[in-house]
Amino acid sequence: MAQIAVIAKENYPLYIRSTPMENELKFHYMVHTSLDVVDEKISAMGKALVDQRELYLGLLYPTEDYKVYGYVTNSKVKFVMVVDSSNTALRDNEIRSMFRKLHNSYTDVMCNPFYNPGDRIQSRAFDNMVTSMMIQVC
Amino acid sequence: MAQCVQSVQELIPDSFVPCVAALCSDEAERLTRLNHLSFAELLKPFSRLTSEVHMRDPNNQLHIIKNLKIAVSNIITQPPQHGAIRKLLNDVVSGCQPAEGLVANVITAGDYDLNISATTPWFESYRETFLQSMPASDHEFLNHYLACMLVASSGEAEPMEQFSKLSQEQHRIQHNNDYSYPKWFIPNTLKYYVLLHDMSAGDEQRAESIYEEMKQKYGTQGCYLLKINSRTSNRASDEQIPDPWSQYLQKNSVQNQLISRKGLSRSLFSATKKWFSGSKVPEKSINELKNTSGLLYPPEAPELQIRKMADLCFLVQHYDLAYSCYHTAKKDFLNDQAMLYAAGALEMAAVSAFLQPGAPRPYPAHYMDTAIQTYRDVCKNMVLAERCVLLSAEILKSQSKYSEAAALLIRLTSEDSDLRSALLLEQAAHCFINMKSPMVRKYAFHMILAGHRFSKAGQKKHALRCYCQAMQVYKGKGWSLAEDHINFTIGRQSYTLRQLDNAVSAFRHILINESKQSAAQQGAFLREYLYVYKNVSQLSPDGPFPQLPLPYINSSATRVFFGHDRRPADGEKQAATHVSLDQEYDSESSQQWRELEEQVVAVVNKGVIPSSFHPTQYCLNSYSDNSRFPLAVVEEPITVEVAFRNPLKVPLLLTDLSLLWKFQPKDINGKDNEEVRELVTGEPEMIGTEVISEFLINNEESKVARLKLFPHHIGELHILGVVYNLGTIQGSLTMDGIGALPGCHTGKYSLSMSVRGRQDLEIQGPRLNNTKEEKTSITYGPDRRLDPIITEEMPLLEVFFIHFPTELLCGEIRKAYVEFANVSKCPLTGLKVVSKRPEFFTFGGNTAVLTPLSPSASENCSAYKTVVTDSTSVCTALTSSASSVDFGIGIGSQPEVIPVPLPDTVLLPGASVQLPMWLRGPDEEGVHEINFLFYYESVKKQPKIRHRILRHTAVICTSRSLNVKATVCRSNSLEDEEGKGDNMLVFVDVENTNTSEAGVKEFHIVQVSSSSKHWKLQKSVNLSENKDAKLASREKGKFCFKVIRCNEREGATQSSEKYTFADIIFGNEQIISSASPCADFFYRSLSSELKKPQTQLSMHTEKHSVEDAVSLIQKCNKVDLNIVILWKAYVVEDSKQLILEGQHHVILHTIGKEAFSYPQKQEQPEMEPLKFFRPENTTATSRPSLEQLSNLIKTSLHYPETFNHPFHQKSLCLVPVTLLLSNCSKADVDVIVDLRHKTTSPEALEIHGSFTWLGQTQYKLQLKGQEILSLQLKACFVHTGVYNLGTPRVFAKLSDQVTVFETSQQNSMPALIIINNV
Repeated sequence: MAQIAVIAKENYPLYIRSTPMENELKFHYMVHTSLDVVDEKISAMGKALVDQRELYLGLLYPTEDYKVYGYVTNSKVKFVMVVDSSNTALRDNEIRSMFRKLHNSYTDVMCNPFYNPGDRIQSRAFDNMVTSMMIQVC
Repeated sequence: MAQCVQSVQELIPDSFVPCVAALCSDEAERLTRLNHLSFAELLKPFSRLTSEVHMRDPNNQLHIIKNLKIAVSNIITQPPQHGAIRKLLNDVVSGCQPAEGLVANVITAGDYDLNISATTPWFESYRETFLQSMPASDHEFLNHYLACMLVASSGEAEPMEQFSKLSQEQHRIQHNNDYSYPKWFIPNTLKYYVLLHDMSAGDEQRAESIYEEMKQKYGTQGCYLLKINSRTSNRASDEQIPDPWSQYLQKNSVQNQLISRKGLSRSLFSATKKWFSGSKVPEKSINELKNTSGLLYPPEAPELQIRKMADLCFLVQHYDLAYSCYHTAKKDFLNDQAMLYAAGALEMAAVSAFLQPGAPRPYPAHYMDTAIQTYRDVCKNMVLAERCVLLSAEILKSQSKYSEAAALLIRLTSEDSDLRSALLLEQAAHCFINMKSPMVRKYAFHMILAGHRFSKAGQKKHALRCYCQAMQVYKGKGWSLAEDHINFTIGRQSYTLRQLDNAVSAFRHILINESKQSAAQQGAFLREYLYVYKNVSQLSPDGPFPQLPLPYINSSATRVFFGHDRRPADGEKQAATHVSLDQEYDSESSQQWRELEEQVVAVVNKGVIPSSFHPTQYCLNSYSDNSRFPLAVVEEPITVEVAFRNPLKVPLLLTDLSLLWKFQPKDINGKDNEEVRELVTGEPEMIGTEVISEFLINNEESKVARLKLFPHHIGELHILGVVYNLGTIQGSLTMDGIGALPGCHTGKYSLSMSVRGRQDLEIQGPRLNNTKEEKTSITYGPDRRLDPIITEEMPLLEVFFIHFPTELLCGEIRKAYVEFANVSKCPLTGLKVVSKRPEFFTFGGNTAVLTPLSPSASENCSAYKTVVTDSTSVCTALTSSASSVDFGIGIGSQPEVIPVPLPDTVLLPGASVQLPMWLRGPDEEGVHEINFLFYYESVKKQPKIRHRILRHTAVICTSRSLNVKATVCRSNSLEDEEGKGDNMLVFVDVENTNTSEAGVKEFHIVQVSSSSKHWKLQKSVNLSENKDAKLASREKGKFCFKVIRCNEREGATQSSEKYTFADIIFGNEQIISSASPCADFFYRSLSSELKKPQTQLSMHTEKHSVEDAVSLIQKCNKVDLNIVILWKAYVVEDSKQLILEGQHHVILHTIGKEAFSYPQKQEQPEMEPLKFFRPENTTATSRPSLEQLSNLIKTSLHYPETFNHPFHQKSLCLVPVTLLLSNCSKADVDVIVDLRHKTTSPEALEIHGSFTWLGQTQYKLQLKGQEILSLQLKACFVHTGVYNLGTPRVFAKLSDQVTVFETSQQNSMPALIIINNV
């Protein structure tokens, strides 16, 4: 696992966590660039299909060392996950369930009455969940 | 890909044109050089045909060639050198920059508005140069020489000879094995003979004749006479002649440089070539090809002939034929596994398919893909691969297949050429933005990658441009890490390009953003910023101070303080606390101060607060009212507290920190001086400015700096901001990750690295919300805390407290001294002090007689004024009287406002006065904060400042001492000794509640005094025989005193404010209770009580008669007696015995009710239940309570205590009893006295009814106000025994009240009588 990012509807980061800290900048660039693909994938879907569409977008694009996966909630909040391409244990289904877990945890954050939607996520519970996810995958 | 000037249909034919070699004689070369052009250059502007050319193809079809262009170049016998090409390309790219005023296109994608230059001329130049400088190779013939021009000059001795020499030379070059380069299209190269003639120099006829000779020898078609310099120079020189060469010249000069350099090294090169077999030349790839593909066709191979045919067709724009030939050749090559040849054929097949007129077949992009892959991976020939990509990308672009084009371009980026990678990435980025739904972020990312590669390729300007373009996407979108990185790079690149302003703003941007970078990174950012900044400021050393981004200033937290710093406590002198910046703002206390000031101002202005009054503010902060210009006094410093915050993870060092201001002086008359002097530190005679030499702010620290100004002149001051040198401390961090800037990697510069700049203090006022406009819009009021008006001199008071205690017993009296000093140059007057707790302190009465004057000899003396008495008069009271007015407590005055008794009411400049001050420990135990507000005025009236104030907060800790509880009740005896009406008994319970057994040993009650308008203590009725009245810890004592009414005559003559004091002494010293300080404190404690009944009374009088009656009834139960208990406490402290003194007050209002010296704690009701219904109208308390009514009449029975009666002589015993009825009220009362026994039960009758009243059993009487009436009764006994005579029942009601029933009056005490038998 390299990075997990939550991006707001307006495409600014709500939460970014990457494990090898030294390459953080690179991951930021990677996630940011992947948003174009996410936009493309969303707009590719018909308007009517948006409602019953699959939230999981699948592989956004592969780079030499990493795979970038995407997931979009109905409120257009994007989850982007960058994983090591050498990690073959991660198949589509695993990625999908990880995104679900992330989505649930994100929903919990949103339910917090003291959380102001649009602010950076600073929830400890969310953080722990991401940490556990990263440990589990690595 | 960006837009191009040429369309792809023009571009490709122009890129593949027939090549013609030019071989010049030395003389011809010399001739062209006279015009600073080579022969090829001379022809360049004319190398395109404007007319159509006709051609027949192998099928004898007529074919039209439009815009045929040929490329003429001087024969170069060496293949172009790889390094030279690289250098050339680099120079071409760097030489082509976007024009200054180029209008960029605005592309809107989503919420992004991007300014993007649509064209990339540097890329086009690169591409053109790249395609032209392609070395010829054996697998294709496109850039092989198709013909050769032989050029000789008319000025030669033997021109024809020269032509044949040139012809031989050409033949030698083509066919000698020494020359593997240049490549020739066909073995018998077509030759064209050109005679060059200079019109200005040579003989024209000779030239013509030579030309004729040439035509005869070589044929008319192959010869040409080229006349140059045909214009005569005597023409007007100012005539503008179009210069067709200029557009080629710059580029060519570069090329010439290369060629000439090559000429120098030619011999050396050919020597080394043998050893290294031309390691970098294209032959190598062919050599490798031999190894990899194992196949190399001989030049005469039929497969190559087809290819040659195809190329020829392509060059003459016969694309149909070219395609079929390429296609055939491709198949052959693929069959032979000749991969390089196949790739070449595929490439050109694709291009010709695309260029076929009418487009009979779709563009075979897969041909290109295969070709690229083969070139790159199999042949390892990046140059060919690149050509292929450039062509294919351009074709795809023309078909709007941007995504594919981008993929191609990106695929070719590699480590071997930064320049190529940069250009291709940039084009890829343009592809992304040109897509139907623009991919902004991909654009930005690839721009950054391109910028990075440009930077590596040494193309700084292009790198900067790319980063700037990408910045538009990342800016302000929350991707701070990326944003910082880009900003940093922009800063760096700008700096190296000497664009210092840009560099500063980019670095500034990194620093002011809430950075998520590591400390080391931030340190690097900061140092680079400072370094760059220093360079900028050195360029214009006299310019205005620029704005610095660091540290942050929280402008709204700026506080301004007017006045001197408080002097700390000086020995036993303790200065008034006043206001200082060290105090936190507390809205509650500031409200208290404000109220105090209003109170004193109201008193000064005879009860009215003037409309112009505003509370004095010495310290302005974000909570204070800053809507008006604050007033500062000349020669008194102004301190501005600036709240800095360092957002970085590295410390910041500010040096030479001072305030920046603007001052507009006024003359004494208040008129503006015509000149408005601005700024700054240079004018110490107007405003002195304090400079803080060093101010360190640690990483992520918030810190305040206090900066002072000293105004020396009146006028208007505007504090604009702060000015300082920003620097960092040395050696805290080392640079890592990012290298130092060139020229500064010594690491030393951090020592002296600081730049001078300013930051403005701009404070936004409060949001206005009064009018409708203000509510609907967002407007802010002004905040003027930094714009003080300097006014004329005002007096300045300092107050010191001497011997001021911090700990007291409750009720303890302590004497201290207050020193008032005028430290200004103006006399002050009208000194007053106001406090919410006037009962805490006194300056003594305002009559000098009553105030003991002994400021110095005070050490062990009593705080009280005492008189030694003889002990004989112990039990009787000594009386004196005093008026409350003397002590500043009168009806209508504000007890909180106390004028300070200055000796002359004026305190002259520099003078100081010490006054005694008595303090009384508050009655409640605990810590008390007591606020004093000193008010004073200038003798000279000032229009702007009417008065000034000084604040002091005293903190006193009190501990428990005595509890005094007192009750008053009516005495049974009707008369006092002098036989005058009323008397009462007062019971005083005193309890020592002090718990610190170590400290206080015991309390002695030294005196009990009464103070009342109507009553006085008469004597002590000793209950216990404890005469010295000592109370050890937790001991309780009880005193009983008889109270009598004062002499009514005295009362009548004296004013109603006159109080009679009666002292009962338990020692041998009388404390004069009617003098200071005892009376002061008594009155002060009374003052709060004084007010209440007044208001109550006035309220009652307004109501109707029922209320009247009630008050009358209530009054008869009232008593206004106040008891003062004076005590001494023996305290052991540090094995020394101290005697403390004190007094407690008990205020008695109601007969029979307990009164306490200490305020009773009221049990707070837990929580009142919420009421959901409206409470019904409570009937006004007009009806007096039963208890009150039962106190109208006081009864007492007078009789002999024992009565001896001879029962054996007379069986009936008659005893005379007097029933005294006294009316306690001042109204007439109807009384019914009923002597009949209450018949409650027969048994009771049995027991009590053993005596009877004789005579009239019921009396109806009317008693006038305070009348005493005696009834003579007779009691009749038949047995001996003890009887209770207190059986008469008395009912009373007010005479004029019909409605009220008679109420049973309180029974007097049991009246026992003993009947003895004699």
